[in-house]
Amino acid sequence: MNENAQTAQETDDNGSFYAKHKKVYPRQVHGLFASLRVTGVLVLLGLYYIVPWLQWDGHQAVLFDLPDRKFYIFDLIFWPQDFFYLAVLLIIAGLSLFFFTALAGRLWCGYACPQTVWTEVFLWIERKVEGDRNKQIKLDKAPMSRFKFSRKFLKHFIWITFSAWTGFTFVGYFTPILDLGVALYDLALGPWEWFWIVFYSFATYGNAGWMREQVCIYMCPYARFQSAMFDKDTLIISYDNERGEPRGSRKKKIDPKEKGLGDCVDCTLCVQVCPTGIDIRDGLQYQCIGCAACIDVCNEVMDKMGYERNLVKYTTENAIEGKKSHLLRPRVIIYLVILLAITAALIYSMATRIPLELDIIRDRNALYRTTSEGMIENIYTLKISNMDRIEHTYNITFDSDFTIKPILRKTQVTVASGKVANLSARIQADPLDLKSISQDIHITVKSLKNESLTVTEKGVFLGPVSR
Amino acid sequence: MDKATQDTPMIQKVIAVLWPSFLTSGVATILFFTAFDPQLIVSVSGYGEITRLGGYTIGFFLFWMLTSISCLLTCYFQRPCDPK
Repeated sequence: MNENAQTAQETDDNGSFYAKHKKVYPRQVHGLFASLRVTGVLVLLGLYYIVPWLQWDGHQAVLFDLPDRKFYIFDLIFWPQDFFYLAVLLIIAGLSLFFFTALAGRLWCGYACPQTVWTEVFLWIERKVEGDRNKQIKLDKAPMSRFKFSRKFLKHFIWITFSAWTGFTFVGYFTPILDLGVALYDLALGPWEWFWIVFYSFATYGNAGWMREQVCIYMCPYARFQSAMFDKDTLIISYDNERGEPRGSRKKKIDPKEKGLGDCVDCTLCVQVCPTGIDIRDGLQYQCIGCAACIDVCNEVMDKMGYERNLVKYTTENAIEGKKSHLLRPRVIIYLVILLAITAALIYSMATRIPLELDIIRDRNALYRTTSEGMIENIYTLKISNMDRIEHTYNITFDSDFTIKPILRKTQVTVASGKVANLSARIQADPLDLKSISQDIHITVKSLKNESLTVTEKGVFLGPVSR
Repeated sequence: MDKATQDTPMIQKVIAVLWPSFLTSGVATILFFTAFDPQLIVSVSGYGEITRLGGYTIGFFLFWMLTSISCLLTCYFQRPCDPK
């Protein structure tokens, strides 16, 4: 223990704790899974960059309006009070992750994670500017020259421009993007908007341009705990050891069996295409993000050699051991049932949600007062929130099991969509009618346009008890 | 201290402090500001005026500062107390 502490201290002082990180140059790959990933990238990024520009019914279709504390998603308007839905949505997202991980391993990492998706775009830009893997390695080794500088400059220029657009789009989800665009054009953005655009751009540039696979290896919590959701029937990417070994290069025409060779020609292409720089032939590793680039490239080689495909393939641990794989197993079924139940509950609750809220706030200054006529009076503020998309006029009624006399300036109030009306209400009661110091009253708010928009809330009436 | 902790690269230690605290402070910011409106808090406490976006940003960084301090302390207390 002490010895260890000593070494730790020394190494600390030397400051030699930085990870020796070798840059990974993933080679471009074509094939089924690469096409799937490109499709994923186009769809996801397409949605990300286009959605904030959509308009719907006079407002931005999807807008998480933080300054106004309202979330717009097409026809729906969410308020801070609707936080419940967000929580349920997060639970659904988490459960889906469990479900898909148990079923097919790191699908999320390989095809849908923002880190993968943006890195894919950055790699594409890098390839367009610097050329494929070999050219990139050569360029990095070469001494600085005008050519090298111009390539690097161009690459970073495009990366930064793209990141800036990404950051702008990100902030466009939180403040109306059209106004934001105008403000940006006039260079009249607020300091916080500037800050978040720069922050998110910098995060994109850093994560997709520089950090890349290190984010997956060091930073991602999911990458650490996903193995807990694996079982022997989960789809993994694996190299067929039996078939491949002993590996070795050979001429195309010879029979590998004669030479005592397996099917792996040791071309190392599977290593070259790997975005995390691992060798899949070493077995299942935690760095593997399941992108299947090695499957694509190995199949290409197998085709060229005239060998059977799938030396590297999606398989399960059970299949490798020669046992039967079970797609439907208790774990998967349980995840699926819970997932469907919660999703159904959410949809039902959203469909039957009443976009109207009433808050009854008691006057804080006095519990009650006695009027000159000897009546007991309580004062309330009624907050009526119209969370609907259209204007409503609401009728306010009072109810209690003792006689009360409500005094309001008006019993009907018109509230515009997304607004809150504050009404002061006085309620008087004869002290002789009061049975206890605190009694319930009920206030009902009902829309005149749509009778189903009705909310009743309970309030408390305080007063002295007459004996 | 076991070997695994000792061999952790510096960059990983830095990330181990900044990153989990970033995540938790993000969650804390969402929860806190869903319940409380920064504009109200600031005006009621008499600090003057602030835009909501400004309030969220300051709140986020306050949370991040606090959570990174606890992450930092966790890392620090993981070291053995006897330096010799």
